[in-house]
Amino acid sequence: MSFEILDISGDIGLKVYGKDIKEVFIEAAKGLYSLITDLGSVKPERALTIEVKDDNLEGLLVSFLNELIYQFDTYGFIGREISIESNIENFMQKPPETNLWLKATIMGEEFDSSRHERGLLVKAATYHNLRIFKDGDMWQAEIIFDI
Amino acid sequence: MPVEGTRRIDENRIEVPKDYKPGMRTNGIIFVDEELEKELEKGSVDQVANVATLPGIVGSSLAMPDVHTGYGFSIGGVAAFDIEEGIISPGGVGYDINCGVRLLRSNLTKEEVLPKIKELVNALYNEIPTGVGSKGKIRLSPDDEKELLRKGARWAVENGFGEASDLERIESGGCIEGADPSVISEKAYERGRAQQGTLGSGNHFLEVQYVDEIYDEKIATQLGLFKGQITVMIHTGSRGFGHQVCEDFVKVMEKAARKYGIELPDKELACAPFNSPEAQDYLAAMRAAANYAWANRQCLMHWTKECFLKVFNISPRELGLTLIYDVAHNIAKIEEHIVNGKKRKLIVHRKGATRAFPPGHPELPEIYRNIGQPVIIPGDMGRYSYLLIGTEKAMEETFGSTCHGAGRLLSRHQAIKLAKGRSISREMEDRGIIVRSAGRETLAEEMSEAYKDVSNVVEVVHRAGISKKVARLHPIGVIKG
Repeated sequence: MSFEILDISGDIGLKVYGKDIKEVFIEAAKGLYSLITDLGSVKPERALTIEVKDDNLEGLLVSFLNELIYQFDTYGFIGREISIESNIENFMQKPPETNLWLKATIMGEEFDSSRHERGLLVKAATYHNLRIFKDGDMWQAEIIFDI
Repeated sequence: MPVEGTRRIDENRIEVPKDYKPGMRTNGIIFVDEELEKELEKGSVDQVANVATLPGIVGSSLAMPDVHTGYGFSIGGVAAFDIEEGIISPGGVGYDINCGVRLLRSNLTKEEVLPKIKELVNALYNEIPTGVGSKGKIRLSPDDEKELLRKGARWAVENGFGEASDLERIESGGCIEGADPSVISEKAYERGRAQQGTLGSGNHFLEVQYVDEIYDEKIATQLGLFKGQITVMIHTGSRGFGHQVCEDFVKVMEKAARKYGIELPDKELACAPFNSPEAQDYLAAMRAAANYAWANRQCLMHWTKECFLKVFNISPRELGLTLIYDVAHNIAKIEEHIVNGKKRKLIVHRKGATRAFPPGHPELPEIYRNIGQPVIIPGDMGRYSYLLIGTEKAMEETFGSTCHGAGRLLSRHQAIKLAKGRSISREMEDRGIIVRSAGRETLAEEMSEAYKDVSNVVEVVHRAGISKKVARLHPIGVIKG
């Protein structure tokens, strides 16, 4: 598991690790889902595809996670496996000509309280103390959610 | 240890001086006594100072005694901005727009309810959609939803949820004018469609209580309260609808702040000049979310009444379950205040703070004009909550505002750790409180020890005179998400 819980008063955060930024985004998504329910109980039954855009990396991560929160809160979709296509890496090499975009395919199912534990009701991902940075070979992100 | 750079003004207040941080346009004032100051986080003080840097701030950047670190603005923050030169900020309202509390009175006594409390709590738990992933019983068509956003609690009453007489007992009559459905995103509509009439999760609750202490006999009597009487408190907000509105506009405002050249010490303070189109759109959307929340609490009250009627098999008249008041504690409103002897129109942000208008205020309904506005302060689920009343001093010192609750002491994880191996539900039952909860760890996260003692918070606002104690309410049945 390459995410851990950041313990803060009132709300909750995630510290996420990845070998590249894409992996950080994937682990952040898994971390988010694990706050909502037990990830192991989610079946990868159907695919959901989402797309987000932003003009900066932090904004893209917030938009991505908020889209997942929206899909859960509106349609009950809870995910387990995530794959990502994006121009993030290009953007890091030669900024800042184009907007960042990200297309994620998430395998999951509809939340069913008779089979899925009810964890936290996550209202939103926030910009509060949001950090995405490289430490040695690893990329890291810290993100706080409004609960 | 006091936070470095702050200084004590008197028994109940400390100052964050203008030189605490570069860019402050005014000072900050935090209502804490020495005891609560021990728990004051530096992060909260920094946030009070950050708010003081925003353009057009009038008076001081304020925080109530239940202050803790939030996003951009601290929780417990109150800040007023000039509507010509100032800004409006979604971060000064929060993600749960018009999160608030309503208090109901009844004709029943504790002795009458206790024998059936388990049955009552189960009925409430089954009747009221609660917890993560729960859906409401109300299905809104797109047109219904628009009408609800315009009308708030009035929509609920017109659709059979409660009485017309409830409306005057809700802040702003349960419907704030100027809500504009056309500025709401499709996503917010979608997210809000199935969540009207739901309680939510986290610290939201519905509580059956009894009046265990009365501090002001005269006002309590006028509010129809007596010792041993059963009351009900409902704490919830605008649900996913409001969260989406906030999220949509944090993005808009972040770009707007750059466009208008407003320097932000923290991205979550994103804001726009009050008269800009971005700000006006946010205001119209925030008002729609506020109305969504008032309709929500109105619907929940209706189902609560139905549960009582069924369980006790009595007539509505015998039950006498009526609204005392409903307050918003996450909202921004245009209000008139006297500043340095001059009447000014301000946009007052209250984020985790409650309006506390005094007797005689023109915005109060006739029924409360002579006593002042009832202020409802929920505590944790194991101790007690308070009913206060607004005062003139609040108008002078805090733009007519006071505290909103207890404030957390432990983080969720610390609380869960502390609860390991214990049954919080059984402990609560041993203390005479029946609890039902949907979430896997909600009870651990929400246990008494996780919160500050709300009475310490209430004592500060009472002593400071920005609201006065009327009664204390003790829980006997709680449902949570």
